[in-house]
Amino acid sequence: MVGFVFLFAWPFAASFYWSLCRFDLINPPEFIGLENYRRLASELHSQQGFGLALTNTLYYSVISVSLSVITGVLLATLLSAKVKGQAIYRTLVFLPSVIPIVAASVLWIWLLDPESGMINYLLSWVGIPNQNWLNQSRSAISPAGLTEVSQWIHGGTLNLFGSKDALILMTMWGVGNFVVIYLAALSDIPGQLYEAAEIDGANLIRKFYHVTLPMLSPVIFFNLIMGLIRSVQTFASVYVLSEGTGEPGSSLMLISMQLFLSAFSDFEMGYTSAMAWILFVILLAATTLLFRTSKHWVHYRTSS
Amino acid sequence: MKKMSQLSLYGILWLTSAIFSLPLLLMLSGSLKTTEQLARNPYRLWPENIRWENYPVALESMPLLRYLGNTLILCTGCVLGTTLSCALIAYGLSRVRWRERKYFFALVVGSMLLPWHVTMIPRFVLISELGLYNSFWAIIGPTFLGDAFFIFLLRQFFLTLPEELFEAGRIDGLSHFGLFWKILIPLSKPAIATVALFQFVQTWNDFSGPLLYLNDPQKFPLAYGLERFVSSYGDQTHLLLAASVLFTLPIIVLFFLAQRTFIDGISTTGIKN
Repeated sequence: MVGFVFLFAWPFAASFYWSLCRFDLINPPEFIGLENYRRLASELHSQQGFGLALTNTLYYSVISVSLSVITGVLLATLLSAKVKGQAIYRTLVFLPSVIPIVAASVLWIWLLDPESGMINYLLSWVGIPNQNWLNQSRSAISPAGLTEVSQWIHGGTLNLFGSKDALILMTMWGVGNFVVIYLAALSDIPGQLYEAAEIDGANLIRKFYHVTLPMLSPVIFFNLIMGLIRSVQTFASVYVLSEGTGEPGSSLMLISMQLFLSAFSDFEMGYTSAMAWILFVILLAATTLLFRTSKHWVHYRTSS
Repeated sequence: MKKMSQLSLYGILWLTSAIFSLPLLLMLSGSLKTTEQLARNPYRLWPENIRWENYPVALESMPLLRYLGNTLILCTGCVLGTTLSCALIAYGLSRVRWRERKYFFALVVGSMLLPWHVTMIPRFVLISELGLYNSFWAIIGPTFLGDAFFIFLLRQFFLTLPEELFEAGRIDGLSHFGLFWKILIPLSKPAIATVALFQFVQTWNDFSGPLLYLNDPQKFPLAYGLERFVSSYGDQTHLLLAASVLFTLPIIVLFFLAQRTFIDGISTTGIKN
């Protein structure tokens, strides 16, 4: 237990002190006050380094977390249908989430190959031209993406999906983890609620909206927080997908990648510590905010 | 009408399962093709002629067996470390009464929310200072100090055990250590197995640990070793896929052997919170 405190309390203090220093691991830390934080603020303003990494992470986190909540709930509802072979379908959806990230990344690099990748092939079935995926920095949900889509509708070319969308796609493949949690929660919903709703003449969609969703809301909330923390920490997949560079065009420079590179390739330990602290504060603020809003939409079952 | 909706339900289920399993099937089939076949017909699920040779070739061109050995050393060490330390700490947090227990538990839970970024540099400095850089101990060592998530999991389980058993043990004159070994551990085998399983998978898959702490290629585990080949083997997709299959297969086998443990482990942590 002493070890546990040692492993967390000391780093906590040390990291805070170093965030006020210039420190390259070799020379002793030199106190420079708030200089590191000032630099972070200016990068935030100019959207370089830390600023860009934060924007990238925001894009990835917001889209991947909301998608994983939506598909997670829908998949779980689908997989809770009482059908023959239910266990098989569940296993097949869950299996990708146990695949080691490095193996999954190797696989997806190949699947997303612009020339011979399976994904582009499948997209061509629905008439979408070849996308560049990991080879370009653009992202689908952006003003540029909107322009592309409107061009395409008017008969032009379509160049929509880039590296972050590729990363999101790969993340979604591993959504099974969340599905399992939703499934467990679904099986806890008392059947009487659905029966009561049926008597009131509710159809499938109304039942989903008025029974399933409220009953799932505590778990959705939990997964939202876990998903947020996990997505902000995403590292191994971006590292493998971009071969440790965060390229193309710094588009895969998520915050964890930026932290790693500025610490272990630039050896700017003080600056990196400051960055980690700002990230921690942002994450804390986001979590608190979610907790605040949760009062309005999370229904905890009161035991009566 | 009823029949129609049943049929479309099955249709959707089939489609969904197909989407999720297709990448895995492609990985397997791709690992059994030649480069030429991959280029000409990458989507054909059943290769024209199955090339098992890819596997021996992959084993020869990448030191996968060495990586496997390293991975197994790390897994064994980390599983031992985690189960032992987390069980002890969780015991202290659930079955031993002490005044500051409440605060300590809050500290443990709180540390779960701390992103690893904040402690990354101090940990690295600490481990280098201890001379553990480029040693397996850099990765195994910390597991002997406990992991917040697993401590939490075990504590919740320990709290469900009936107090009378411990009462009886105390009357028989068992010390804390005796209570721990003779009563708690035998009763908690399923929970400890869950922790061991999760830690095993976590260490097997761990990428950032070796990336930070190991720089001798002789010591690389599979996850990190494989990554090193991604850039240099870019044109040898079939070999990379074969290596990935070898790397993934044990986890899939483990998953099928312990499916219930996996799923219960994930879902209980989700619900209990």
